[in-house]
Amino acid sequence: MPITINPPSLRPSHRNDSSPSADPGSNSDSSTGGTSLTTKPPPDPIIKPSSSKYSIVTPGEVITSDPQWMRGHGTYIASSTTSITSSLAGTVTRTNKLLSVRPLRARYTPEVGDLVVGRIVEVQAKRWRVDVGAVQLASLPLSAINLPGGILRKRTETDELQIRSFFAEGDLLIAEVQQLFQDGGAVLHTRSLKYGKLRNGVFVAVAGMGGGGGVVRSRRQVWTMEAANGGGMVDVVLGVNGYVWISKHVEMPEGDKGASAGITNMEESVSATMYSSQNDRIGVETMREIARLRGVVTALVENGLRVDEDMVMKGYREAVEMAMVAGEGGNEDVYLGGEKGSQLAAALTAV
Amino acid sequence: MATTTSQQVLLCPAELAYLHSSLSLTPPIRPDGRTPTHFRPLVAETDILPGTNGSARICFADGTEAIVGVKAEVEKTRGVEEGVEESEVREDEKEGRSEWVELTVEIPGVRDDDGGTAFLSAMLGEALLSDGGFVKRLWINRRWHWKLYLDILLISPPLSYPLPLLSLTTHLALLATRLPRLKSEGVEDPFFDDDWAAAPYLYPRDKKSGKALARPPVTLLVMAVGRNIIFDPAKEELAVADVALAVSVGEAAETGDNDMGGKGRKLRLLSVRTIDPPSRVTPPGVPNATNAAYGAAGTTQKQPEARMAEAEAVEGVWRAPRGGAKPLVMAALVQKTLERGGVADEVLDALEGVDLG
Repeated sequence: MPITINPPSLRPSHRNDSSPSADPGSNSDSSTGGTSLTTKPPPDPIIKPSSSKYSIVTPGEVITSDPQWMRGHGTYIASSTTSITSSLAGTVTRTNKLLSVRPLRARYTPEVGDLVVGRIVEVQAKRWRVDVGAVQLASLPLSAINLPGGILRKRTETDELQIRSFFAEGDLLIAEVQQLFQDGGAVLHTRSLKYGKLRNGVFVAVAGMGGGGGVVRSRRQVWTMEAANGGGMVDVVLGVNGYVWISKHVEMPEGDKGASAGITNMEESVSATMYSSQNDRIGVETMREIARLRGVVTALVENGLRVDEDMVMKGYREAVEMAMVAGEGGNEDVYLGGEKGSQLAAALTAV
Repeated sequence: MATTTSQQVLLCPAELAYLHSSLSLTPPIRPDGRTPTHFRPLVAETDILPGTNGSARICFADGTEAIVGVKAEVEKTRGVEEGVEESEVREDEKEGRSEWVELTVEIPGVRDDDGGTAFLSAMLGEALLSDGGFVKRLWINRRWHWKLYLDILLISPPLSYPLPLLSLTTHLALLATRLPRLKSEGVEDPFFDDDWAAAPYLYPRDKKSGKALARPPVTLLVMAVGRNIIFDPAKEELAVADVALAVSVGEAAETGDNDMGGKGRKLRLLSVRTIDPPSRVTPPGVPNATNAAYGAAGTTQKQPEARMAEAEAVEGVWRAPRGGAKPLVMAALVQKTLERGGVADEVLDALEGVDLG
């Protein structure tokens, strides 16, 4: 059956596993005179289901008019009133006496040190403008990249003239947030052998740090794994901004690592391929496993689960197992959308 | 040829090369793991807008969502001389005109007069009007007819080329459309039964099974990479397409001996349009041999053979497809869509399964 059409169903309730105590209705510290947060009985009782576990507020909705609460992120106090009003659509979180609203969906807010995957959208004279899924485009100055061969020198006019030979519009790169401007704009750098232009793989954009499911900040954002079914080694890059890159792992050139190789020499040989846009030869098995990994990531996001190394690895093992059970389905076994995705998510949340 | 400027995708040459090579394998490996004929799962419902004669909503798992509303109005047919009274109406006298249907497509973030949007509405209208059968249904009597307004809205930003989504939603909305029951007779000014429950469907249904006897057309997007034919391409797949076609398929009238062909219905090709794939305007990749920023030295060796490298393909380097589509590929695309028990057939089957109000 090439097409499945389902009747609409109520979306599963917003999974919010990081704030299990965010239940304003329960009012645990009533000894200190705490009052219920749902202060004002809404004029129209149909609008606000007071019995729901996670109360979702919309922008402009009064959360409380009780002065004992402090306002946190995602809220404001309108002038000439004392009531805390939500400025976002999201769930109310309470930390002691601090009220904040976690958005259901938000763009990525950069922080210094974040590892991000970005796409060049604009090339200027001395810098690139990079789409990292944030409100503003990030900028990558020409002085913040490694020159091929690891040469250390001042950037000259020649470099400015051939700026497109390093990165051109549309190129994907992995970088780190170096600095933030007051207005939230980010400055990136790629001054490491781990960073640079991406090739040999596929890109998928999911939700990043913000709200809901998506990529979360974790200990490791980049790892190399052994793919099943003879897929070889595969690199996975989970950008904190929710941009994910899955590619074939390319071994460091081993040839001249021997006697003469100093640390500078290695840098030279590694960074030789840094600005290449030519793919290596990639086997069919590797491509299939890369597609499977991409399916795992999208299935996780579609089912509102977080995306990190642990979940992706578990999900991948589960997916391989599911494909094995399904038998010799040829190409079909890679697909992880729709029903299979929910199955996968159910298997992951069960354990 | 449709312009695809409105849905320009920004992909890097390495990505394009990877996608192209994985899609030209046999069998192709699509980035989301689907088989070539596999569609993305849909969620569909009808009769969602109470103020319309018929409406439908379809959404994809990625959040792409379309709504179609159909409104009908009684309008006086122009150019019919008054006073000529004729009591009986023969079936073959019924006729329809294409101006009785007005179709508007709205896509967020795109201007109304954008080329892409105009093409989409022309494409959808063409499929509907290409057989005269549809407008004939709007005929009331010699002096009056229904005027149908189809409002097709894409609610989410266009994450992929929206043509198939809009077409399927329009199909469902038209199936769910009901017009008030006519109480007047002959050529007198029409008046209608105000009992909505008695209103007949625009596409009449079988009394017992509730199945529609005739169905509106559907338009499917088909593309080819190398020798592979791929249905319902996602945005990044379309970005490496060699050829992309919008194929409109309608149900042909039953000719009686249906049992012979086994299962499946008889399909009729209504129209074919080529879509200009965005792959043609993608930047080419630079082979390592001519890459100034490649190599340990990092020094720019002056490239004497730069022109030559442009002409010949290097493995792993993206080159935009050039030249037209091969007639054989085009024929295969259309045939694969139309074949009995094939993709279009199953799509119509699946649409039949949608609960219509």
